[in-house]
Amino acid sequence: MDKRYDDNIRLLLVDDEEGFRAAIARRLTKRGLKPLQASDGKECLDILGQESVDVVVLDVKMPGMSGIDTLKVIKQAYEKIQVILLTGNVAVTDGVEGIKSGAFDYLTKPVEIDHLVNKIHQAFEIIRLEEEKQTELEYRAKLEKKMIDTDRLASLGTMSTGIAHEINNPLAIINESAGFIKQVLNSAEMVKYSQKDILIMAAEKIEKSIKRARNITHQLLGHVKKPDTKLSEVNLKALLYETFGLLKKDIRDKQINIHWQIDKNKNVIWSDPYQIRQVLMNLLSNAVHALPQTGSITLSTDEIEKDIILEIKDNGVGIPKENLGRIFDPFFTTKSFNEGTGLGLFVVHKILLNLNGKIDVTSKVGEGTCFQIRLPKCNKSNG
Amino acid sequence: MIKIPARILIVDDEKDFVEMFSMRLEGQGEKVSTAYSGKEALKVLETKIIDVVILDIRMPGMDGIDTLKQIKNLYPIVEVIMLTGHGSTETAVEGMKLGAFDYLMKPADFEDIKIKIENARKRKDEQEERIRQAEVKLLLRRSGDF
Ligand SMILES: Nc1ncnc2c1ncn2[C@@H]1O[C@H](COP(=O)(O)OP(=O)(O)O)[C@@H](O)[C@H]1O
Ligand SMILES: [Mg+2]
Repeated sequence: MDKRYDDNIRLLLVDDEEGFRAAIARRLTKRGLKPLQASDGKECLDILGQESVDVVVLDVKMPGMSGIDTLKVIKQAYEKIQVILLTGNVAVTDGVEGIKSGAFDYLTKPVEIDHLVNKIHQAFEIIRLEEEKQTELEYRAKLEKKMIDTDRLASLGTMSTGIAHEINNPLAIINESAGFIKQVLNSAEMVKYSQKDILIMAAEKIEKSIKRARNITHQLLGHVKKPDTKLSEVNLKALLYETFGLLKKDIRDKQINIHWQIDKNKNVIWSDPYQIRQVLMNLLSNAVHALPQTGSITLSTDEIEKDIILEIKDNGVGIPKENLGRIFDPFFTTKSFNEGTGLGLFVVHKILLNLNGKIDVTSKVGEGTCFQIRLPKCNKSNG
Repeated sequence: MIKIPARILIVDDEKDFVEMFSMRLEGQGEKVSTAYSGKEALKVLETKIIDVVILDIRMPGMDGIDTLKQIKNLYPIVEVIMLTGHGSTETAVEGMKLGAFDYLMKPADFEDIKIKIENARKRKDEQEERIRQAEVKLLLRRSGDF
């Protein structure tokens, strides 16, 4: 967020005495603080519902909704807004109560205009500091997350690929043994054997489980069918279409609106289509999984320097903050075993690293998730 | 149609794997020889005619890539399919560059293996046929010279 200066303080002046209000407004305007105006609490809240305001100058004694009540509502609904109360000369207790309810300060009428201007600037300074602190916090949270990510992923990655290697060999032996048993059971000598069918069934269950395990080890190893990776022109829009085709089964029983915001001039990269397809596949299937019965997925591209940015945004369940740092870890999943292995994003991260790309995620529970991938328009390394 | 058995050599230091895999291929009517190291594989090739070698990339001692180089050097016409439990696609790509026919990752689908063996054998047959024809031509030309 850019630093905001005093000359764009957004001010709202609320007072039921029209003459008084107009006079103050005029004088504030002369000092460069052109205020919006409201004549009572209700109008004040209406305006806040439509406009962004930094500071409210609020009369306490008004017909209808009192200033203190208005203040309470403001503080509840818009915690960042600072409120300065104007109280009658004899009603100091109003001012004290106001501060207890969250007002920045109070001034007694008749108002000394320079005094008011000073207070407004002070109140705004609080807002500015608050905003700065916020951006700094966000920035630091991001940095921290990044550091954890790369370290964790590097060591988790090495470990899990090591395990996958070691498991593939015994898995191959089990596979050939089960296959051999099945082959024998299917041979001519076995035709009359009464237990044949159930033994075949058992052998097939072994084979099915091997496939499941293999699915995991091969994913961990980043094994993409088509070993001799060739770089070529990759049209992201076409590849996204194709990938949605492969996801038909998952999409079928949901109502999903797909918004295409893909600029056809910012859509083509030079990279490995097989690996990119794997990335899109994993991200889109996650987006589809995240959607309840109905939802939308927005796909957009952009261009920054020599990179293409692709955003895949869904308005699904979102990712809780405490999970955000872990979703790229191998085996981190919130799904049951037949829906997910927790390897999708791990593989995505690995592939993008290979292709000199990167990935970022922003998400909010109940609102949705946005994955942003960044890839060089022209990839030189042989991923 | 009668299936002509392929003459296959399986090379892997995993004894159990070699044993089961060869029993399975034999059950399908192939003619299988086995070796548990690169050195042993080269010995087998000295004495037997082999169509297709199925070769593990990662072995102690002389590893798969070295073995592949030797095989292709000594018997350029023999086809090699690499089989590995390791995900290192780079090694697989390197193997393809060195003349391997294809590569598969363990545990592999038996159907996939069968198709690849079949195709490898076909390529070898065609290659042999071409060589034979070239030899015949050469012979004819030579006899014409005289
Ligand atoms: N678009 C998304 N919306 C909500 N949650 C997501 C999304 N993408 C990923 N996640 C979360 O991250 C976890 C890990 O994702 P992934 O690595 O693809 O594994 P899997 O999908 O197999 O669980 C998911 O289980 C889910 O909790
Ligand atoms: Mg997934």
